[in-house]
Amino acid sequence: MSDGPSRGIDRRAFMKSALAIGGASALSACLDRTSDEDVPRGTTETDPSSLPERQHAWNDALARDDAGNPEPVQHRLLLLLDYDGDGAPSDADRRTVADALDALERAYAWRHDGLLSTMAYSPAYFDRFETDLPESVDLPAPTALASFEDPALDTPDAILHLASDHAHVLLAVEQALTGETDALNGVSVDATLTDVFSVAQRRTGFKGDGHPADNQDARGVPTSKPVPDDAPLYMGFKSGYTETQASEDRVTIESGPFAGGTTQHASHMRLNLEQWYEQDDREARVGKMFCPYHAEHDVVEGAGDNLGTDAAMSKAKPAAEAAETDGFVGHSQKMFGLREDGRPLILRRDFDSTDGGHAGLHFVCYQRAISEFVATREAMNGDDLAGDSPLGRRDNNGILQYIDVANRGNYLVPPRSLRALPTPRGDA
Amino acid sequence: MREDDSGPASDASSPPRRVSRRSFLAASATGAITGLAGCSSLNLTSDETGDSSGSENATVADRPDAVYYPTHVDGMLLSGVRKANGYACALTYTMPHAFWLVTGERATRAGPTADDEIHVMPVVWDAETGQRLTDLNPVLRFRDGGRVLTSDAPWPMLAQQMGFHFGDNVALPGGGTYDVTLRVGAPAARHTGALATPDSATFDFSLAYSPKELDAISYRTLDQAGERGAVEPMDMTAVPSAALPKPDALPGRLLGTGTAGDAAVVATVLDDATRFGGDDSDVYLAVSPRTPYNRYPLPMAGLDARVGGTTHDLRETIDGELGHHYGAAIGGDVEDAPVTVSVDVPPQVSRHEGYETAFLDTPRVTLGE
Repeated sequence: MSDGPSRGIDRRAFMKSALAIGGASALSACLDRTSDEDVPRGTTETDPSSLPERQHAWNDALARDDAGNPEPVQHRLLLLLDYDGDGAPSDADRRTVADALDALERAYAWRHDGLLSTMAYSPAYFDRFETDLPESVDLPAPTALASFEDPALDTPDAILHLASDHAHVLLAVEQALTGETDALNGVSVDATLTDVFSVAQRRTGFKGDGHPADNQDARGVPTSKPVPDDAPLYMGFKSGYTETQASEDRVTIESGPFAGGTTQHASHMRLNLEQWYEQDDREARVGKMFCPYHAEHDVVEGAGDNLGTDAAMSKAKPAAEAAETDGFVGHSQKMFGLREDGRPLILRRDFDSTDGGHAGLHFVCYQRAISEFVATREAMNGDDLAGDSPLGRRDNNGILQYIDVANRGNYLVPPRSLRALPTPRGDA
Repeated sequence: MREDDSGPASDASSPPRRVSRRSFLAASATGAITGLAGCSSLNLTSDETGDSSGSENATVADRPDAVYYPTHVDGMLLSGVRKANGYACALTYTMPHAFWLVTGERATRAGPTADDEIHVMPVVWDAETGQRLTDLNPVLRFRDGGRVLTSDAPWPMLAQQMGFHFGDNVALPGGGTYDVTLRVGAPAARHTGALATPDSATFDFSLAYSPKELDAISYRTLDQAGERGAVEPMDMTAVPSAALPKPDALPGRLLGTGTAGDAAVVATVLDDATRFGGDDSDVYLAVSPRTPYNRYPLPMAGLDARVGGTTHDLRETIDGELGHHYGAAIGGDVEDAPVTVSVDVPPQVSRHEGYETAFLDTPRVTLGE
């Protein structure tokens, strides 16, 4: 293999497709091509308290960009899991799940270049029990969240979100969880997650500068391959500014048996990048992603790395005013009115994907209550704006035009100590 | 989880997965919804077939800032007509086309890409009144077998022959038969009178096309290209007319007709405003901006009306009798006062050739003087 400048890109693209394919041969091919197999091992054996009780406490374990914003973890795997047993789970199964998940953290450090995860449970899972979840947990079944969308409503029992900057780590973890290997990064694995669960679906993806550009061989992306080389997401702009995210504290459940936990929404949407790149121009893209002011004044450079920690949203006029006077509104602009103490209600950990052979986005986010996600999505829908202005329901209404929501699911992320097959009262 | 929307990749080398009873039942419950088979395409136009190689994307070099004759007109094909929840929908299509998107006061050209196979043009109307609906933003999902190949939300669009429709160029793997599900959500404009207002409606089509069939679509160049004027509306037997009523056919007391930029603007006053949210003492002012020549509606504009020293926001409305218009319930009467209509935001509707330079400014017009 040549050591020329294209080598890195080839390898990066290969790692992503290997993760999308999955399995032992993909892992082996991945390891053959990688030089970074030396991944830091976990410290839980020597220091069990080194892991945060909040499963969603990733921020301290992430890299930072020049402005101090957390960098996204580059490779992702979502496993949708169906519990094989009937009714409420057994204590034996609970031990198996606990051991299988504990093994991952013995094997890999809780870091972006090691392994980060959340294990979460659906309303369908809690229906297995006679008792209900306490009022301190807001976890309705998923529904469509706009009249124009028609998502499949996901009802697995659980969802395991795995994240690492190394694709081969996720492939190896999957091998261990499914009993295909009994050693992980030199650590022995004694329990198999799939002795208890069946994998109903696996979803994969990527995020970070250059990854979307490397992955344009998918439906929904024009063959002109228009995604900029430095874009962290398919739509060309970065998203995770510190001030455009809720803090981990803000999304944490504060009381009741699941205090320290959070809720998770996971949707999958197809993206129409032909309309976005080949039909709209950059001025329209900036205006519809951020706000008309940013488009008119050329505020956004490249992917938006020049926008500090707040996407410069103080420049945006209220969405209703933009709708009346500009004729279109930006996505960020619509969300601005929902902020609390200057920040949104939800913590995005979304990523792009080629699942189904189509360019898409897995919108994974965390919030204290699912109702706060619903409120956020309602702000994004802009129904009140569309009803009384030149905006359409989707057209000129942020980025709704370019998105087709294919799946939605809601989950409870318990605190780490309850992450193995919890009961609704957190007493097992 | 529904099988057909499961999306994420499945591959022989991925871990074996069992289908649980629950997901099997979920799949069975929805699996019966498939496209209606046996569509036959109808050529809706009678023009002679011509050589269209590449020239469907030509434009006139020196275009007036007004409605003008385009370089050519195309024929189109009909996949079928379906009804659901008080709406009807025709799925028509033709060869890929250039069109213009409008964002604020800018119109930008969207040319077809090498990936585009067809230009889809769904038309949705109220089944009872025949009013074409401009405010629905449909989403189309193209399926090959059970799998969703791609999704597309066609733009609200205006064309001289066809009038208002939704349109977009779509990349597909090639000729063949696709199950197409078209879904519309709640309307964005106010629906009044006999108009249906469902929260959503879904229409299932089977779209079969071949490159040969697309090549055979009629194509006619126009000698008047670039001159002010417009091609006559086509007669579409399967679809109700796109034209608004002539001024003297509108209900109510006609205030007058004027022009704002290149748009004709008609205003009428109805004594009864109650079906538009007014009370018993209100009248209803309906302002109907339309294209010159063909009387097509100009949706997604921002309009207000100044009457007797008061400015009223006009709300975009589709009514069974008035059709598409912008209106406000007004206390008292407007009998002695002229009405000044201002276009604050140009109609954000996308345009085919011949409309893209018109209706982009923010003029005002006084009626009833």
